[in-house]
Amino acid sequence: MKVSYNWLKDFVDIDIPVEELAEKLSTSGFEVEEYSFQNEHLHDVYVGKITKIEKHPEADRLQICQVDVGDKKVQIITSATNVFEGAVVPVSLEGADLVNGVKIKPTNFRGVKSDGMFCSGEELGIDENYIEGGGVNGILILPNDMKIGAKIEDALMLNDVVLDINVTPNRPDCNSIIGIAREICAIYDKPFKDVDYSYKTVGGNINDHISVEVKTEKCPRYMASYVKDLKLTRSPLWLRSRLFAVGIKPINTIVDITNYVLIEQGQPMHAFDYKHLAGSKIIVRDAKKDEKIAVLNGNTYTLNSDDMVIADSVKPVVIAGVIGGVNSCVEKDTTETIFECAVFDLKSVRLTSRKIGVMTDSSLRYSKGVYLSTPIKAIQRALNLVSTLNCGKIVDGIIDTCKQKEVPERKIEASMSKIDKILGVTIDRKRVLQILNSLGIKSILNGDKLSCTLPYYREDVENENDLAEELIRIYGYDVYNNVEGGAFEHSSVTVGAFEPRLVMENKMKNELVDNGFYETLNYSLYSPSAIEKLMINDERKNVIKLANPISEDLSTVRTVMAHALLLDIHYNLSVGNKGLRFFETGRVYQPKSLPLTELPVENNRLSIAVCEDGYDFFMLKNVIENLLISFPLEYKLERSKEPYLHSGVSADIIASDGKKVGWFGKVHKKVLKNYDISEDVYYAELDTDYLSKLPEKTYATKEISKFPIVERDIAVVADEKVTNGELISAIKSACGKHFFECELFDVYRSESLGENNKSLAYKIRLVSDDKTLTADEINAIIKKVLKSLEFRFGAKLRA
Amino acid sequence: MKEKLDAILKNGLSEIENADNLKALDDVRVKFLGKQGELTAILRNMKEIPAEERKDVGMLANVVRNKIEEALSKKLAVLEEQQLEVEMEKERVDITMPSKGIKKGSLHPLTRFNNKFMDICVEMGFTVIQGPEIDTDYYNFEALNVPKNHPARDMQDSLYITDNIVLRTQTSNMQVHAMETIKPPFKIVCPGRVYRNDDDSSHSPIFNQFEALVVDENVGLKDLMKMIDTILKRLFGEDVKMRVRPSYFPFTEPSIEIDATCQMCGGKGCSLCKGSGFSEVFGAGVVNPKVLEMSGIDSKKYSGFAFGPGIDRSVMVLNKIPNIKYLFRNDMRFLKQMR
Repeated sequence: MKVSYNWLKDFVDIDIPVEELAEKLSTSGFEVEEYSFQNEHLHDVYVGKITKIEKHPEADRLQICQVDVGDKKVQIITSATNVFEGAVVPVSLEGADLVNGVKIKPTNFRGVKSDGMFCSGEELGIDENYIEGGGVNGILILPNDMKIGAKIEDALMLNDVVLDINVTPNRPDCNSIIGIAREICAIYDKPFKDVDYSYKTVGGNINDHISVEVKTEKCPRYMASYVKDLKLTRSPLWLRSRLFAVGIKPINTIVDITNYVLIEQGQPMHAFDYKHLAGSKIIVRDAKKDEKIAVLNGNTYTLNSDDMVIADSVKPVVIAGVIGGVNSCVEKDTTETIFECAVFDLKSVRLTSRKIGVMTDSSLRYSKGVYLSTPIKAIQRALNLVSTLNCGKIVDGIIDTCKQKEVPERKIEASMSKIDKILGVTIDRKRVLQILNSLGIKSILNGDKLSCTLPYYREDVENENDLAEELIRIYGYDVYNNVEGGAFEHSSVTVGAFEPRLVMENKMKNELVDNGFYETLNYSLYSPSAIEKLMINDERKNVIKLANPISEDLSTVRTVMAHALLLDIHYNLSVGNKGLRFFETGRVYQPKSLPLTELPVENNRLSIAVCEDGYDFFMLKNVIENLLISFPLEYKLERSKEPYLHSGVSADIIASDGKKVGWFGKVHKKVLKNYDISEDVYYAELDTDYLSKLPEKTYATKEISKFPIVERDIAVVADEKVTNGELISAIKSACGKHFFECELFDVYRSESLGENNKSLAYKIRLVSDDKTLTADEINAIIKKVLKSLEFRFGAKLRA
Repeated sequence: MKEKLDAILKNGLSEIENADNLKALDDVRVKFLGKQGELTAILRNMKEIPAEERKDVGMLANVVRNKIEEALSKKLAVLEEQQLEVEMEKERVDITMPSKGIKKGSLHPLTRFNNKFMDICVEMGFTVIQGPEIDTDYYNFEALNVPKNHPARDMQDSLYITDNIVLRTQTSNMQVHAMETIKPPFKIVCPGRVYRNDDDSSHSPIFNQFEALVVDENVGLKDLMKMIDTILKRLFGEDVKMRVRPSYFPFTEPSIEIDATCQMCGGKGCSLCKGSGFSEVFGAGVVNPKVLEMSGIDSKKYSGFAFGPGIDRSVMVLNKIPNIKYLFRNDMRFLKQMR
């Protein structure tokens, strides 16, 4: 919220450098995001009067002006055509540094000296709304009665400092000048002085002119007053100056008064053109289904019964609390007005304002909360301004639909020792009472009992914690810099522990890093097109869609990990990166049913992708085997059913309980095409939730034979269909108890072996527990092996 | 005979001296000490020497043999040394050639920070827990004292799935899960992803947070301050300074923001900290008793405090990462710098 320093001075006597004020406000809970000086670019600009104009002898378009700037006379050359002798104008002299970046120095125009420049409204940072002539394409002609030689910032009342304050949601009362002023009073322990709320009426009775009927629960108070014989002119400069400072466009006296009260009191107001209120009636009601209203921002909105409107006897005239309709607003020809000063339900205004996407100063305040008592003084203040500006005649009486004229003061009782405990420091009792009272919280301390009477605008204060905060934010958090005591003075001894899955993931991550992998981090939201690109055709097609996505690309919650890493690979290849080994941990979110009625299953995964010259399935297999060896996991490999993997070059990892705990393989060519990747990619994924639930691996070692291992190599020719796994398990069983290891060391294919044949060479290692195997014994075993391979697979010893 | 032995010694020593390789040296050995060697011949024919001379000649022959053997072994050591030098010279490598084997990759800087932070918390007695990222409105908002349509909902733009199910906007949902399931006193810390409807140059819609919560019988603001002071020193070093500002979170009261010495500029003031020398690290506060009660914890007996950093910014600052988007872009040129 923008706050004018000058305006604050109406309520509290301050003469504090703004830097200090900003710091103090920030450290007491009202963060000042920035502050700016209105006059930053107005120095060395004065009010001058043109006394004489002559043509430039050398240039037709230039005029030489003699100008009186008070204590001296200057000469200004101008090309502006709207200047005349006797005109009062802004004159920028040497040293001026205008808002558009122009720096003024005396110059020569074809042999004639110019001491400076006349300014337009734009060059002073103002416009037609601020002052008449402020928007013309030429020099700003000032009113004749301005003091010649005055500084322009004083003459135009542009000498304010504007603070931009971040007001937290618990303090809606501070979305007002009056609220911030009260805080400053508490911070500096200064008395709060209020403004004048009195006004003069011209008799009559408002009830003879207008009636108000509230037909909804969502409007606990509606106040109205009636002003006639309006003089709709520009507001005086001082009022325009204040509105301008806080970023509100001055329009005319009546509209400016409603805005002034909004900013000062935090109470939104509205002014109707009386003649457009059909039936002289104001009805506050829920909107009808598909009711339409054209409003001041130029749009027409269609409402329904969730929304609230202000209507006359035939039509809606305002979307309650949000924006006024064009059919009843105050215009140039308005002669009588009804001021509205109401309280609307926060939720209703919030919902409507969000739904139609219209945020106004009014809707923002209603959405944060306006107190039931606020309108009482606010409407008086508006009438006071009408009197002060003498811009209309106030008819006697204010309509108020609220039965409860005075909201009873709220009282709470608190334990002082509990407050001490919350803070962990003890604040001197006198200071406690002084702080609370300065905040408007009337407090008495009796023993441990703190009795507080709260002003209506402090609904946020309910218990000891709230009071503790009020005390410490004004007392200052610096007190903790010097208190004794350690971090564990009051807390129990607890034994820390890691989340087992995180520990496990970290081990796997480090292993992968040692293997040359880089950890990536991707969003867990993706485009629904991921499912098509990956050719997913199972339950993972059922993705959860966001109700309010940021973009199509982030509109569904992922059910598959692979998408992100494939995008990463595509991106990296596109920028010329090579040798890509990536991994990532994250979650997939599988709905139990759609639309979602209960929470989805969140499953943690480790995904791996490689795109590197010379990489192959078996290198990836090695990575997976090494990762899994630390777990007490019995598993077998089956041909993978993952739709995005090459069906012949991929495997599913099936645990002994039948659960698929992962898969790995070459990515399907079609999928790669969908991701615009022209190189082979290998991908793997493991279910880390499953792995983390496995018990810790335990070890039971067997005795090692005292006798040496012997080795024999064999090479057999077998049909292509016969797998290495089958051959090895046959070798193992043929060797019987003397089997130690068997390793494939060569695969060879050639025409001489016959079509569809391959040669596989194995190193068979044998050992006995009780003797050194003799050559005869070894030969007998190898013979048995060869026989078995021939019998079972037709595999023959290679000649 | 004596002259003969003298001559053998003289010739032997001189030939040993002249042998310039292992083969030549071995030839010398064979010539004098081999089976057919000159000295061997004399020793073998001792019995042909007159008895009275035999003893002297024998002694002299042994002396000669010892001297030759000694010279041989000395020369052998020298020649072997030379030979080794030659061989090693041949094996000499260009040490600037690249190393072989797999080059290490890297952990993501966020993981690194996570691990460091969790280590600190666990040492301080916190238990690390994780929970759902997709949660009900109750856990993400209502149980944290943010009823539907409360103005505080404006502080976080949420991504909704249904009216009642939301992508969590804060790891604070874990406060509620923890309070419902763990018996006080406890200390927990919950790292995880959070989601906001917010995507611009300085915000990412998905980012990482921690939520730490302590519930105990007598803890308050001072304990919170002291604990955060300890954590900040462990994270950023003993010299780190901390600054506290009042703030507002619906689930804590009092609520504070904690700034620490800006790690980008070391407190001198830079564009990141807008010249203040401090950057925001934690939101924190004393748990609102209403929140304790809503989760079934007796607020008359127990109090609590919570703190939670958005860690992406700290990771950026600590690693001098110029753009927050780098954290999710996964460009090898960035990741390689994290090794």
